[in-house]
Amino acid sequence: MSEHDQHMAELREIVAEVLEVEPEEVADTADFVEEYEADSLRAIEILARIEKKYKVEIPQAELNEMRSLKAVHEVVARYAGWQD
Amino acid sequence: MRLEHAELRALLPHRYPMLLLDRVEAVEPGVSLEAVKTVTGCEPCYRGIAEGEPADRYAYPASLLIESFGQGAAVLWLLSRRPGTAGLPMFTAARECVLLRPAYPGDVIRHRVRLDQVVDGAAFASGSSWIGDDKVAEFGSMMAVVRPVDAIARAS
Repeated sequence: MSEHDQHMAELREIVAEVLEVEPEEVADTADFVEEYEADSLRAIEILARIEKKYKVEIPQAELNEMRSLKAVHEVVARYAGWQD
Repeated sequence: MRLEHAELRALLPHRYPMLLLDRVEAVEPGVSLEAVKTVTGCEPCYRGIAEGEPADRYAYPASLLIESFGQGAAVLWLLSRRPGTAGLPMFTAARECVLLRPAYPGDVIRHRVRLDQVVDGAAFASGSSWIGDDKVAEFGSMMAVVRPVDAIARAS
């Protein structure tokens, strides 16, 4: 598994757990709010879990961007220095 | 540091019948806390139980046990914040909580709470609850967020 795929799988698991769906139900570009009825509390929980797992700090201002798995990956990659 | 009941009331907005902590035995702000909740037979959750009901009707409700632990987490978080920080913690999510055995009137429950993470306006705690040497519950992750005091007052 490439580093990119590995990170996506880990993030998918975090998002699925918080949104209370199965990981395979989380499509890469599906909008958390529209598809899974996520609210701002769920978004903060996703952010907090990511910060804990990867030991990064992501400003809350980025929450608006983090509306799909793909978008989450992009934001985390920027702050964690991922090259994938 | 130990907090008597009056000090708890000064910190938490909860009052009868929802103030579910009696005392804080020890606290290391920002790190951990041990709090006590005594279950008694005259609590409102036991009102209206018919005579002759089986003994397990007096099991302390899981929802109240979780709330009680959450109030311990709230005290820990409140004591960990900078003085003068506005807003009250609001309990928003509990994950990976396991109830191992019920508590009954007469039991003294000890909550051992750890503050795991604080991110901009949200806090995560975990821990366990004990009666003597018996673990009664495990709490994997309890989440709270800060809400302005006036927003909570309006909602209630």
